[in-house]
Amino acid sequence: MSTEEFRAKALAWLQQNAKPFDETTPNSGGATIEESKAFQKGLWEAGLAGITWPKEYGGQGLGTAEQLAFNEVAADFRMPVGPFVIGLGMPAPVLLEFGTEEQKKRHIAPMLRGDEIWSQLFSEPSGGSDVASLQTSAVRVEDGWLINGQKVWTSGAQFSDFGAVLVRTDPSRPKHQGITMFIVDLHHPGVTVRPLVVATGDAPFNEVFFDDVHVPEDAVIGEVNNGWAVAVAMLRYERVTIGTGVRARANPLGYDALVELVRARGLDADPSVRRTLAQVYAKESAMRSYSAVLHQEAKAGVPIGARGSAAKLAGATFPLWVSDLVQEIFGEEIALQTPDTLPIARSILAAPGGATAGGSNEIQRNIIAERVLGLPKDAGVDKNVPFNQLKLSK
Amino acid sequence: MTLIDTDDQRDLASSVKRFVSGQAPMSAVRKTIASEASFDPDVWRRLSQELGVAGLPIPEQYGGAGASWSDLVVALRELGSGLVPTPVLATSVLATGTLLALDDEEARATWLPRFAEGTAVGTLAVSEGARRPWAVADSTCVVEDGTVTGTKTAVLNAAEADVLLVTTASGVVLVEKGAAGLTITPSDTLDLTRGIATVTLERTPGRLLAGDAASAVDSVADLADLALASEQAAATKACLDMTTEYAKIRYSFGQPIGIYQGVKHPLADIYTDWALTDAAIRKASESLAEGSATASLDAAVARHLASSGYVEAAKQTMLLHGGIGFTWEHDAHLYYRNAITGNVLLGGPSAQQDRIAQKLGV
Repeated sequence: MSTEEFRAKALAWLQQNAKPFDETTPNSGGATIEESKAFQKGLWEAGLAGITWPKEYGGQGLGTAEQLAFNEVAADFRMPVGPFVIGLGMPAPVLLEFGTEEQKKRHIAPMLRGDEIWSQLFSEPSGGSDVASLQTSAVRVEDGWLINGQKVWTSGAQFSDFGAVLVRTDPSRPKHQGITMFIVDLHHPGVTVRPLVVATGDAPFNEVFFDDVHVPEDAVIGEVNNGWAVAVAMLRYERVTIGTGVRARANPLGYDALVELVRARGLDADPSVRRTLAQVYAKESAMRSYSAVLHQEAKAGVPIGARGSAAKLAGATFPLWVSDLVQEIFGEEIALQTPDTLPIARSILAAPGGATAGGSNEIQRNIIAERVLGLPKDAGVDKNVPFNQLKLSK
Repeated sequence: MTLIDTDDQRDLASSVKRFVSGQAPMSAVRKTIASEASFDPDVWRRLSQELGVAGLPIPEQYGGAGASWSDLVVALRELGSGLVPTPVLATSVLATGTLLALDDEEARATWLPRFAEGTAVGTLAVSEGARRPWAVADSTCVVEDGTVTGTKTAVLNAAEADVLLVTTASGVVLVEKGAAGLTITPSDTLDLTRGIATVTLERTPGRLLAGDAASAVDSVADLADLALASEQAAATKACLDMTTEYAKIRYSFGQPIGIYQGVKHPLADIYTDWALTDAAIRKASESLAEGSATASLDAAVARHLASSGYVEAAKQTMLLHGGIGFTWEHDAHLYYRNAITGNVLLGGPSAQQDRIAQKLGV
């Protein structure tokens, strides 16, 4: 099948099964988990899920050209696949890279079919930027491990079946060297999920508590005490997912949404407003171009590496920057949260959270400076000290 | 089309890069700066004849390579990165672009072959002050009895130009070097790597060229946006590389300064802005080569991002180098001067944003 035939097939299926994109409705369109699962299953049955992944694990075995064609076509539709974004964006590619044959056979296809929803559990109350200082522990027991501790900022844990959980397995080693990643069944009775209410008043994340949660030996992803390397790989996938996942029309702080409101108010006659919109368009379109360049390079075999952090940093600073600009354009309307400006006000409020999720801007700048530009890494006073001898708080 | 360089473009880039490091390194650039000339004619002739740079956008029938504007962009990147003083923007972009966009076969046949072989310099005399950088329909230059009268400001390489294309409300007038009533007053420019002059014409004989001047000049503005952006983004990368290397070897408080977040974070920001700008330029280059409907918009976006980003990068380059970056001997000020000049020539910051808004239809 040629790329164009694939595109036509995708379009035909979406026209049949998805609603057209509309700016006033959230992308999930308020779909229930069951509806999302049914949609994902349909995608998979139509050969539109796991497009670039190997056939033996349930993927389609196709190339980036088909993936890009699908992304372009899908941008015009409402895609109620929110619950699967994390699992398919992060744990799944990590399983493909580090997982055992058995793990890949067991989990990849169910994720693609919509039968399994996954979460990623890294951050803890004591450390987000410094993920490697995590304190949730796993102790060896007969036939596996026993996990105790707490994770936070976990998206979708309330409806997830499995989690990729980063845990300390050897506190006598320096902090990066005693960590292991496990597959954890989140339906285990020792797992408690509590919603975490954030600044917007919503609860898009959870706190997850582990109380004597037993996992079998074969739940380890990669090797015991080598979980940091697996985590770094997953964070790299995460940044690519976050940085390149921007969809112009869905974003209240994007050019398309702003120009419409500006025109409706006749503000487009104001040269300073026009110039502001020009700047917003320029930055936003450059982010799209950068994403396209990274895709084309990846296709040509040029590794994206830490440049995903540049995409993530740009994606995080954009809404923070536009938040400042729209205050000038819409004035008191922002404070009053009129029906038109409510989505903008909510996006302004959400922008700092978006910048923190997936690693703060400061962490991204460290990564770019050290891994892209090759600047010297701050040694870190804790790097070679056994974790159980570290000072963890004041 | 593709957003990443083709094999041919990579070859071209490495040829020009080799030429720059061998024939026009910063030591040679400084010699040119210290001389009376605004560029080294020998460098320009060899760039044109040995590497074919001037002829890249010129069709084969006029002695050029018949390549695309995106190929010229590749060469401009290398020249811009090394701040090599050449009339490439004046001749190969502005004058060549204008002749190709107009419809005057005689002018093309006369001048394009000479441009291609690097034996003639051409330029576009278009600006009439900071508020009218692209004066055509609103030009105050008057065409009468085969002559043109008026004043043009900030004309690139006017002092060296064999031919000036002067925009007027009546059309584009071709004026040759030495014409009666033509006075060229070179400016003592901020940018030491560009020759810029004021041109006054007093009943100067010139030939009105065939073709729609307004639409031709509008398309040349797109080319200028893309070309300038390409030079600027490459110079931004040169500033970033220079400062990054310095941050690795300069020690303060017992450590290389690149360890400190006060140094590494601005560099990470410059990298990120440069990466986005580079992508925007690739997109604009592709759009122009394909004749896409968004070509003008994409070029305007590239220019705005590259111009503002370069000013910031050049400023940070001076600041992060500390005292040494403020000395005459250090190259930082050459980039800073070039960055500010590029941001205000051919449309300043507001004009750049207005052009985006105009092309967006806002």
